[in-house]
Amino acid sequence: MERRAVPLLLLMCYALCLALIDRSESLHSNGISPQDENYYKGLSSGAIKCKDGSKKFTKDQLNDDFCDCPDGSDEPGTSACPNGKFYCKNAGHIPLSIYSSRVNDRICDCCDGSDEYDGKTKCPNTCWEAGKVAREKLNKKIATCQEGVTLRNKEVEEAKLAIAKEETELSKLKNEKKILKELVEQLKERKEQIEKAEEEERLKREKEEKDQKESEDAKVETTKSEEKTEVQEDAVKNHVRDKIGLLNGSPSDVVECPDEDMDKIEHEDQSHKDEVEQVPEDSQEKDTTENTESLSKEELGRVIGSRWLGKKSEQANEEVDAGTKSNYDSNDEGPTDSHEEEYHGYDSEDDEHKYEDDETEDPVEDLGGEDHDSSSSYKAESDDDSDFSDVTATSNPSWMEKIQQTMKSIFRSVNLFQTPVNISDAVHIRKEYDESSAKLSKVLSRISSLEKKLKQDFGPEKEFYSFYGQCFESKQKKYTYKICPFKEATQVEGYSTTRLGNWDKFEDSYRTLQFSSGDKCWNGPDRSLKVKLRCGLKNELTDVDEPSRCEYMAFLSTPALCLEGKLKELQDKLEMMNKEQPQSHDEL
Amino acid sequence: MRAPPLLYPLLLLLLLATSAYSWKKEEFRNCNQTPFCKRARSRKPGSCNLHATDVSISDGDLIAKLVPKEENPESEQPNKPLVLTLSAYQDGVMRVKIDEDQNLNRPKKRFEVPEVIEEDFLNKKLWLTRVKEEEIDGVSSVVYLSDGYEGVLRHDPFEVFVREKSSGKRVLSINSNGLFDFEQLREKKEGDDWEEKFRSHTDTRPYGPQSISFDVSFYGADYVYGIPEHATSFALKPTRGPDMEEFSEPYRLFNLDVFEYLHESPFGLYGSIPFMISHGKARGSSGFFWLNAAEMQIDVLGSGWNSNESSNIMLPSDKQRIDTLWMSEAGVVDAFFFVGPGPKDVVRQYTSVTGRPSMPQLFATAYHQCRWNYRDEEDVYNVDSKFDEHDIPYDVLWLDIEHTDGKKYFTWDRVLFPNPEEMQNKLAAKGRHMVTIVDPHIKRDESYHIHKEASEKGYYVKDATGKDYDGWCWPGSSSYVDLLNPKIRSWWGDKFSLDSYTGSTQYLHIWNDMNEPSVFNGPEVTMPRDALHHGGVEHRELHNAYGYYFQMATSNGLLKRGDGKDRPFVLGRAFFAGSQRYGAIWTGDNTAEWEHLRVSVPMVLTLSISGIVFSGADVGGFFGNPETELLVRWYQLGAYYPFFRGHAHHDTKRREPWLFGERNTQLMREAIHVRYMYLPYFYTLFREANSSGTPVARPLWMEFPGDEKSFSNDEAFMVGNGLLVQGIYTERAKHVSVYLPGDESWYDLRSGFAYKGGQTHKYEVSEDSVPSFQRAGTIIPRKDRLRRSSTQMENDPYTLVIALNSSQAAEGELYIDDGKSFEFKQGAFIHRRFTFSNGKLTSSNSAPTSAGNDRFSSECTVERIILLGLSPGAKTALVEPGNRKVEIELGPLFIQGNRGSVLTIRKPNVRIADAWSIQIL
Repeated sequence: MERRAVPLLLLMCYALCLALIDRSESLHSNGISPQDENYYKGLSSGAIKCKDGSKKFTKDQLNDDFCDCPDGSDEPGTSACPNGKFYCKNAGHIPLSIYSSRVNDRICDCCDGSDEYDGKTKCPNTCWEAGKVAREKLNKKIATCQEGVTLRNKEVEEAKLAIAKEETELSKLKNEKKILKELVEQLKERKEQIEKAEEEERLKREKEEKDQKESEDAKVETTKSEEKTEVQEDAVKNHVRDKIGLLNGSPSDVVECPDEDMDKIEHEDQSHKDEVEQVPEDSQEKDTTENTESLSKEELGRVIGSRWLGKKSEQANEEVDAGTKSNYDSNDEGPTDSHEEEYHGYDSEDDEHKYEDDETEDPVEDLGGEDHDSSSSYKAESDDDSDFSDVTATSNPSWMEKIQQTMKSIFRSVNLFQTPVNISDAVHIRKEYDESSAKLSKVLSRISSLEKKLKQDFGPEKEFYSFYGQCFESKQKKYTYKICPFKEATQVEGYSTTRLGNWDKFEDSYRTLQFSSGDKCWNGPDRSLKVKLRCGLKNELTDVDEPSRCEYMAFLSTPALCLEGKLKELQDKLEMMNKEQPQSHDEL
Repeated sequence: MRAPPLLYPLLLLLLLATSAYSWKKEEFRNCNQTPFCKRARSRKPGSCNLHATDVSISDGDLIAKLVPKEENPESEQPNKPLVLTLSAYQDGVMRVKIDEDQNLNRPKKRFEVPEVIEEDFLNKKLWLTRVKEEEIDGVSSVVYLSDGYEGVLRHDPFEVFVREKSSGKRVLSINSNGLFDFEQLREKKEGDDWEEKFRSHTDTRPYGPQSISFDVSFYGADYVYGIPEHATSFALKPTRGPDMEEFSEPYRLFNLDVFEYLHESPFGLYGSIPFMISHGKARGSSGFFWLNAAEMQIDVLGSGWNSNESSNIMLPSDKQRIDTLWMSEAGVVDAFFFVGPGPKDVVRQYTSVTGRPSMPQLFATAYHQCRWNYRDEEDVYNVDSKFDEHDIPYDVLWLDIEHTDGKKYFTWDRVLFPNPEEMQNKLAAKGRHMVTIVDPHIKRDESYHIHKEASEKGYYVKDATGKDYDGWCWPGSSSYVDLLNPKIRSWWGDKFSLDSYTGSTQYLHIWNDMNEPSVFNGPEVTMPRDALHHGGVEHRELHNAYGYYFQMATSNGLLKRGDGKDRPFVLGRAFFAGSQRYGAIWTGDNTAEWEHLRVSVPMVLTLSISGIVFSGADVGGFFGNPETELLVRWYQLGAYYPFFRGHAHHDTKRREPWLFGERNTQLMREAIHVRYMYLPYFYTLFREANSSGTPVARPLWMEFPGDEKSFSNDEAFMVGNGLLVQGIYTERAKHVSVYLPGDESWYDLRSGFAYKGGQTHKYEVSEDSVPSFQRAGTIIPRKDRLRRSSTQMENDPYTLVIALNSSQAAEGELYIDDGKSFEFKQGAFIHRRFTFSNGKLTSSNSAPTSAGNDRFSSECTVERIILLGLSPGAKTALVEPGNRKVEIELGPLFIQGNRGSVLTIRKPNVRIADAWSIQIL
């Protein structure tokens, strides 16, 4: 015990002496960072310029508690300048540069307590304890980062290989596309010739049947006129319904739609009670507001209150709004931009299906104004290469040759000018045509899919390649958030899906994923999402948040962000922290 | 070009959306839909046939009976005589009450608004003993009012006025146009249908018509001001008269929660003060206050309004007369005449009746950060630390309705706020405070202790049938505490005790919103007029004072919580005459538009001259997203509002000052820092308001009553007597016209340059600040050091900015106390007076030298004295006592931003509490 106590005492004395020395040289050198020591050395030989060059000051003016330099350079150790910075050494922990506004404000900001030196507040030195914790944390962080860097390097390598492979595949496919296209065209020609022949035959047959048909037509005529009047009545009945259709975004007739009609529509589903006004309302004042007259007391409360809330009873409106907006979007941007013929085949089976659905649903949506995405059964993961096995097979040259052989034989064997058409030949040609064009469309689809993929920005080192086609999910309270980089982000609650945004771009030098133009918020902006990336050992989505209404934020840890530079920075920091430790502590 | 067909429905939807969610005119009654207003407005001048009889002095008052000249046997109206009581009070206040005769059998006592008049005021009554009869347009009774003023009752037709004794000139009068009308209460006869319907609501009106209206004339007046709250110009535009087509609704005083109010409209908003000030170059100011809390409508009549009337009214041919018509649905006449003659005299006289503004705690005069909503504790900590990270000071963080458990006030959403005390304590460790919202609607939920207690004790307002009134507000079905009853107010106040309000600490203060009261499913979004209060008082009779009693109860509760030691802070939205005693008022739910920034100045000025000196508008605008430039401009102007708070609707983007790029962060930081620098000045001004009623934010003419050009200026305002600030109300403004009143110069606070007074200057606008000037002849105290919050500034040294006038003289004041308690009432404060003349600055004691002065002391020193307008050449100054020489050099006027280059006395280091002098050598 005693033996231990002696060095301890000595050390304590040593520390105390150091502190005393520190104090005595203090005040003048208070709050000066090591980088600035040279700058202040100039003072020993007279006045020096403020850092901003605006003025000069002398040694007497250094830390004399009066602000001479507007940039604070004469008062690194006091609160006199509003723009200044105070440096605390925080031996044993990380040095800190704090605002001058914290100096002698009776709040301990530096763990070494150096910011409170006027004697009004006692700040214990907590650097060692805090530093220990910080160093441990830092150590852990470094370990993670180190491992992450390895993972990242691996991924970068893999990505490069994969991309190279895909590029090769793409160029091959492009060649095959050419050949296949020719084939299909030839087959098409054949097929059309056959069909022409068939058509001629059919016309002949029809002519024979014509006489019989005419006699039947005469009978039909009488019943038709009755139908017509019915149709007219229906049109009147449906007038109102049509107008509702207008409200929901049908494009026809809108230009002519006068305001009064809008009023009618608004009030359509609210029973028209007689207005029991003692004083008549100004008839000109009527506008397109909601009719609150006929509501029950509770409904009225909800409606009026909802103005401030912007939700609930206005939900219907919101949906109309959102639906229309997303329809509009889908027509010129976003993931649904593949309505055009040449892109048609790009997606995998599931997606193709989806788009077919879309096309048939489109007019319905225009009328009904349903939320676009909440109705779709979109499977994000299926976007990628789920079903290309036979397409990839096309890249086998022998298969190509084989198919070309077959073709040749067909062309030879079928006599084009033979009538009536040989039925088995026709079937054969049609079958070949169907198969080849299906193959072609698969090849095209694969090409377009590859092109689309390779067009993406995977980061400077392609470190985000593996994000393609992946989705990250996180459950928070009642919502499931699903973030699919390069595609879209959604929020799922039960059966309803809200699109938080379409993939937009990387931001903040590849540290943030930006999704924008999501579903529109009632009375607010389109939803958008920023995903902040941080270094981690696996891809993991955490902390989804909505700091402003409809502007979401999330964190995604990923090895892609474990940069060697960052690792170096952390290691340097640790090294510095270790260096700054009072040596005595190591021995304790 | 045709737009793509899809666009049309989209545009239509947009149109629908915008029109559906802005102000709904048709949901509010206009004058024509308000029978009493319509009746009163259509009455012809001279139609009042009452004359005064039985004039006598009784109990120190002048008493008379008002009887109709000839009985109209066909009239349904009861024609019982009315009783008029005229009394005089110290300092030039005349009070006139007119009511039905108490001795006659009346169906119901008409409501008189209790607890608005200061008790102290009643002690200032002058005991009238003599009345003299005089011949002034007929027989008149004249009484003494104050030095130089007399009160006059002309008998036939009856008219009451105040006149200058020496000249005989009138100051202000009622019934000079013979528009007085008093609908007496009567028994309901068979066949009487008194019901009124508006939209889907029915008002049973069990007592029938009972309205009162009369004309008030202001003499020697160029403009009239006051009668808040309206979002309109400061000088009140006429509402009736020749050439009046558009602005033809009267100013309405009816406390309403108006969704997305317009910036130019006479319609009533959240609060009401039936107080009007006139001002004219010829005479100065006078004021009129009608203590009545029922719905009121007030016409300002444009000159020539009655030119078509072939009346035989003979009024003195005073061109500078402004006539007004005051109409109220119920109550009595209880009118106060304030003789002035200066604008500050009128506000002093008015606040002697309704109470002086309370003294706020220092922190409350600093910057407040609010949003609907700071969502949870993490959000709170994050915002708090971001302020520190960006070195932006703030003092108070606010929590809106979402912090509660299901909108049950006094509760916490424990998922979002599991440890509210810890949260408040953590912020308090940095010298910061928090505010939570408590509204008057109580959720009808049996498990809610407030509701349970209130319903069991019968503390709710009743509907016309006597059941607890059930309305709809944030929590859904809600009832409203009846705060007219003093017992219920006291009960309510107890709910703020630390024991009762779980999760509260002494650092928590309160925000009273929705206290008009707002009832989403009530007529005009408020409570039905036939709802019943304590003592059978109908809601119609006290509507405009409901919010007042609510804020009173809350404020008294907080006072009680701190054993009467700490000054309460309660922000309210609804208000009435006297609200200045209970806290601050903000201008409600404004919008993020340039025009709303502009109208905030007349709105704040109107509140200020009406006693409510602690007021401000939501910086940034509540609804909508401000453009960055607008937000910055709003901070730059808002930093000079007496109440300075940033707030935003929950559908808006986050807009804390650091979210708009480094440059804009810097601009907003500087704007907020400027407020913190001037806190010693603001605090001194709050003390001045507390002792005299003189507002912190003042119209130019309050300081320059003879400068006509300033009378209708509401783009600029004064902070105290020393600073003039003008907002920038347009985007990318390059130049702005700034009118600087008076004969003396003004020093630009950006450059230190002098601008001549009495001129309109084409001022070059900078993005750094809004135009702001210090008036020559003033000395303004500042604390220039930047801190996290006002709490840390306590020991910081002062800067004095001396702006010399043409005779090289200036003066100013500084008031300091502990910033928290009521000790100042016992004299625990420092009050210094600084004077500069003959090249010498002197600090002298301005506090009464009675005991108590030594109970508060300060170690603070003066670190810097800035001299504006001193002839150059001075190099040193001599400090006495001590015979110490200090340097004079050039320094910046504002260190932050390095603005201006001005003569600066470096480190005089005299103690602020001491007497000393500094002679320029």
